[in-house]
Amino acid sequence: MKDEVQRVILHLPATADYVDIVRLNLYGIASKMGFSYEDIEDMKVAVSEACNNSVLYAYKQEDGTVEVTFEVKPDSLSITVKDEGESFDSWDKTDDRVTLHDKNLDDAQIGGLGFYLMQALMDDVSVVSEAGKGTKVVLIRNLARSEEKV
Amino acid sequence: MNTNKNDKFNATTQVEDGTCTVYLRGELDLSVAPDFRQVMEPLVEDGELDLVINLKDLKYIDSTGIGILLSILKARHGMSAQFLVREVPAQIQKLFDMTGIAKFFASQENPQ
Repeated sequence: MKDEVQRVILHLPATADYVDIVRLNLYGIASKMGFSYEDIEDMKVAVSEACNNSVLYAYKQEDGTVEVTFEVKPDSLSITVKDEGESFDSWDKTDDRVTLHDKNLDDAQIGGLGFYLMQALMDDVSVVSEAGKGTKVVLIRNLARSEEKV
Repeated sequence: MNTNKNDKFNATTQVEDGTCTVYLRGELDLSVAPDFRQVMEPLVEDGELDLVINLKDLKYIDSTGIGILLSILKARHGMSAQFLVREVPAQIQKLFDMTGIAKFFASQENPQ
């Protein structure tokens, strides 16, 4: 079995119009790896949320680029979404009360749900944000071992 | 990029017997969120109509789209007007359950 990592790297304008291109690429790569339909749908949401944050917060109104790196490993897919814009404080990882479960409608707010969804839908999520140097989000999903596949 | 947004996402509206049903098709994400808001705004404000969104042909929704649905829930709740979702695909229902917005839709179905 090959242990080497194979990489696919996309450079995209940091605009909302290109986030679906990331999803299309993700679909192609993840299905080639043997991920289930449901797994791929989960990853689509998580990766899009990471891209949305770069689009919304990194570059304000200015042009910028998002780099998405897919790392194909024998038993996992790692997706890194990286921008070089301003780092964002909007993802407050200390606040775990972002979901709407314990809120009534008057208090319900959507902020933070993107980050929550990334964490809930992936096996591992890390966010490195450095002032002036942009933000890097790494999302990892393990490939479930199937008895039927050899 | 000059994309044909109608291919990616569209919303068609049907009014019948005091109920306005909006059929969503395609992918509701950040890029089409402004279009969706624009379609929904006058409908949300009309308290005379029952408002229903049919998601049967919606392939994808992100937190932006869920955020818009939440704002519609709030607005309709404030007006004591109905807002229901119908034919929610399993993958989207999963996101509704995870985020917690599902309970607000459920309480619309069974008002106390």
